[in-house]
Amino acid sequence: MRTDEELIKEFQNGSEEAFNELVKRHLPDTYGFFIKFTSDPIEAEDLAQDVFIKMYKALKKFRFQSKFKTYLYRANINMSNTYFKRNKWRNLLHLDQAPEPVYMDTSNEDEWKRNELWNAVSKLPSRQRMVVTMRISDEMPYKDIAKFMGISENSAKVNYHHAVKALKDQLEN
Amino acid sequence: MNIEKELKNIILSQDQTIDTDDFINNLHAERKRRIAKKIGFLNGVSAAVFLTIFGFASMSQLTDDFTVYASNDLQPLEVMDSETEAYVYDIASYLVDTSDDIWETIMFLDEIQYEPVIAVNNRGVE
Repeated sequence: MRTDEELIKEFQNGSEEAFNELVKRHLPDTYGFFIKFTSDPIEAEDLAQDVFIKMYKALKKFRFQSKFKTYLYRANINMSNTYFKRNKWRNLLHLDQAPEPVYMDTSNEDEWKRNELWNAVSKLPSRQRMVVTMRISDEMPYKDIAKFMGISENSAKVNYHHAVKALKDQLEN
Repeated sequence: MNIEKELKNIILSQDQTIDTDDFINNLHAERKRRIAKKIGFLNGVSAAVFLTIFGFASMSQLTDDFTVYASNDLQPLEVMDSETEAYVYDIASYLVDTSDDIWETIMFLDEIQYEPVIAVNNRGVE
């Protein structure tokens, strides 16, 4: 089985099949990452598509200074931040049309909870939001989060606890 | 309320399957669509830039002298070459011979200061 790096080299030499193989290999993780907080398969697919379209351009200049998986994960995090920002504006612009929770169908309780939670996550400062996304969505250890974000492990922990506290406050109010 | 637990429960309840082949086909179709859109946009911008530069260059070459753009061949009769002079003479004679009102034609020829035909016609009248 060819490694990611080998596939990227083949892709850089013009093999589209190598790129497709790379997509096949990493799509489940990427799609899974986005479906966790969009709760909408179409939206998750669109986000994954955007990430891989960016990858198609970026991989032509990839210099193998980091692992592809890390590179892709960073792209996912950036895309999720864009999604959060976009959703924040969308929520703000549609405040008057938001359904009242008391009228919600109880069969959609999970859906409602998920929306509430991710709306709350979208209001967090970007660093806290990234830590929460990585920690909860991918169950990443603090050590890896710290390494990924270029901060200390303690800072990652502090950010996470601040984020959880802020989420709790937002949801309880 | 245990936020961490709630988030984890919600996350784990997600269905995470997707048809990879369909996704790849859609991905390449969308990629090509975006490239085509980008090329269309760039072509539009290039055309606009070209037209702006070309238009500006053309406008800057325009002069205030209207005679450059409007024909005034009839004015300097005295500088006509012999061929044109013969042609104008024929036309003038034709106008004099065929007009319903000879005086209007003579007035016209007088206005454009075409003396030969007036003189010829005057001789004919005399």
